[in-house]
Amino acid sequence: MLRRPCGTFDENYVQDSALVRTRFRWTLLALLLAGLFIAFPWLASNYLLDVMTNIAITVIAVLGLQIVIGFTGQISLGHAAFMAAGAYASGMISYHLGWSFWISMPLAALSSGLLGLIVAIPALRIRGFYIAVTTLVAHFIIMWGILHGGNVTMGLVGLSADDVRIGSFALDNERRFYYLAMTLAVLTVFLTTNLMRTRIGRAMLAVRDNDLAASFMGINVFRTKITAFFLSSLYAGVAGALMAHYQGIITVEQFTLMDSIWMLGMIIIGGPSIIGAVFGVFFMKILHQIILLLAPWIGGLFPLVAGTAVAGFMQLFFGAVIIWFLVFEPRGLAHRWQIILSIFRLWPFPH
Amino acid sequence: MNFFLEILLNGLLSGGVYALMGLALVIIYKSSSIFNFAHGSLVAFTTFLLWQLIVGWHVPIWLAVPLLVAFTFLVSYLVQRLVLQPLIGQSLMSAIMATIALGEFLHGAAVLFWPGPGRMLPPFIGASRVRIGSIAVSGEALLNFAVCSVCFAVFLAFFHKTRFGLAMRGTAEDHMLAESEGVSVSRVFIVSWFVAILIAAVGGILMSSLFGISFEPLHGLGMKGLAVVIFGGLESIVGAMIGGLVIGVVESLSSGYFDPYVGGGSAEVAPYIVLLVALLFRPYGLFGYQRIERV
Repeated sequence: MLRRPCGTFDENYVQDSALVRTRFRWTLLALLLAGLFIAFPWLASNYLLDVMTNIAITVIAVLGLQIVIGFTGQISLGHAAFMAAGAYASGMISYHLGWSFWISMPLAALSSGLLGLIVAIPALRIRGFYIAVTTLVAHFIIMWGILHGGNVTMGLVGLSADDVRIGSFALDNERRFYYLAMTLAVLTVFLTTNLMRTRIGRAMLAVRDNDLAASFMGINVFRTKITAFFLSSLYAGVAGALMAHYQGIITVEQFTLMDSIWMLGMIIIGGPSIIGAVFGVFFMKILHQIILLLAPWIGGLFPLVAGTAVAGFMQLFFGAVIIWFLVFEPRGLAHRWQIILSIFRLWPFPH
Repeated sequence: MNFFLEILLNGLLSGGVYALMGLALVIIYKSSSIFNFAHGSLVAFTTFLLWQLIVGWHVPIWLAVPLLVAFTFLVSYLVQRLVLQPLIGQSLMSAIMATIALGEFLHGAAVLFWPGPGRMLPPFIGASRVRIGSIAVSGEALLNFAVCSVCFAVFLAFFHKTRFGLAMRGTAEDHMLAESEGVSVSRVFIVSWFVAILIAAVGGILMSSLFGISFEPLHGLGMKGLAVVIFGGLESIVGAMIGGLVIGVVESLSSGYFDPYVGGGSAEVAPYIVLLVALLFRPYGLFGYQRIERV
């Protein structure tokens, strides 16, 4: 529900379609951007910058997943495979052809998007649970193809990807890459927000709420669904390419089914909206960092498994957190955030 | 020809276990229309638990099996009360995520308590090869297939001949109607999870006689059930049977004939390719119900 501060009126169409309405919100936005792009890289250590870069990349990927799940109401269990497709496409272009990131990244995004489109074609006839299974099957087939790609994908060895360069300036440390990743993440959030206000975005929401009713209203359901999958894997491709060039080496271990499930978990925790996706990513990544901090203690608790204790504990904890959110907070953190916001907005007259 | 027959027979025999896995998923889906993504983890977890009882704590086998059954019942009760009951009426996504999260929880627990490979249950029969005509088949595989057939038969008898089986069939048709006829639907849910987890345990124990106990292959076995039920149709027991055998044969044929060309491992992906093609032509599986919806 759109609640606006008292006394804010729209007088023309420009105001009506503005994303940021009041001066107060402009100030907040400017503060947020200044925090992200000036204060944080200035203050934070390399480790924190690395964490934040990962968060930014994941935000891009999870927003893509949100388009399919939260906005179109389809379920994709193969998002990590689409990320892998983007990462490998960009990596192969840079490794075999030697082209720069600025050409390979869009090409990778496009090829990953087309792959998503192909996977979604069965959506013409199937829906709900079966489309989820199709994406799961696509995950197995894509990952198998990458693993058995021989010298083209360097299956088990891993593919190396070049640094991103602007002219002769290489983005080769955490701080420099952070700016690129964060810029793209902010751009993605902005683009997605706008996308949901266009005809395509509204068609997706209609398909999510009831696809039969949507088709009676003249929405081409099939086209909407495959557009959603195309966009979703496009985002995944961008995120994958970023990850490939950030880490410098790509292996199949970076894109497991577990990663898809993590991203699904982020969406459950955040809730079905853009801000929800961002919250979900932050929540999960911060949780992960907390568990890494507790690692010595966990290792002591399970002496049998010193090496894998943290991973195992993380999985155990992850399962419990997801179930907790499903049962007690099914609308996610975004809903909680809305409640807090409306308390502030309505204060001191809470009705 | 001999090679072909041998591959075919081996495929059919391993298909028996796959069919059993499919059956477990069908039971849960029929009663509660939830697809159980935790099945793979349940297969592994129950097998690890039996290993812990028999090998780890030296519990005699006549006590270990009832303990495992009791534990299975406890798990199904808890799953029903804590996870599924609060989610009744929620979206498909919630139901799917709930079972995935359950699977991750059990996976994490298994990794923490039983790390690394190299566990074996004491063998049921000595390793032996049985010759049928000119085809050699391993004794374990034959035994596995026999046990699976017995399980199938027992379940079918239970499902079609007993009073509770009737309640389960009624619940599968319509929850409201079953409830109004005096069937306790939540009890049916608990029992169908109980039966499904028991079947998971049986499958895991059978497979561990071939590959030993480690998480990944057992989890993979449970997930094969996914391919089986999608192929055969989510609501059909006959579909699970046929789907299991088909998936087993496809897997065995592809590892026999394609592996030399692609450098191994085609058995992991061949069933899924068949599945994708099947989904294109029969979107609800071979024997699934095609639901007609009204707005």
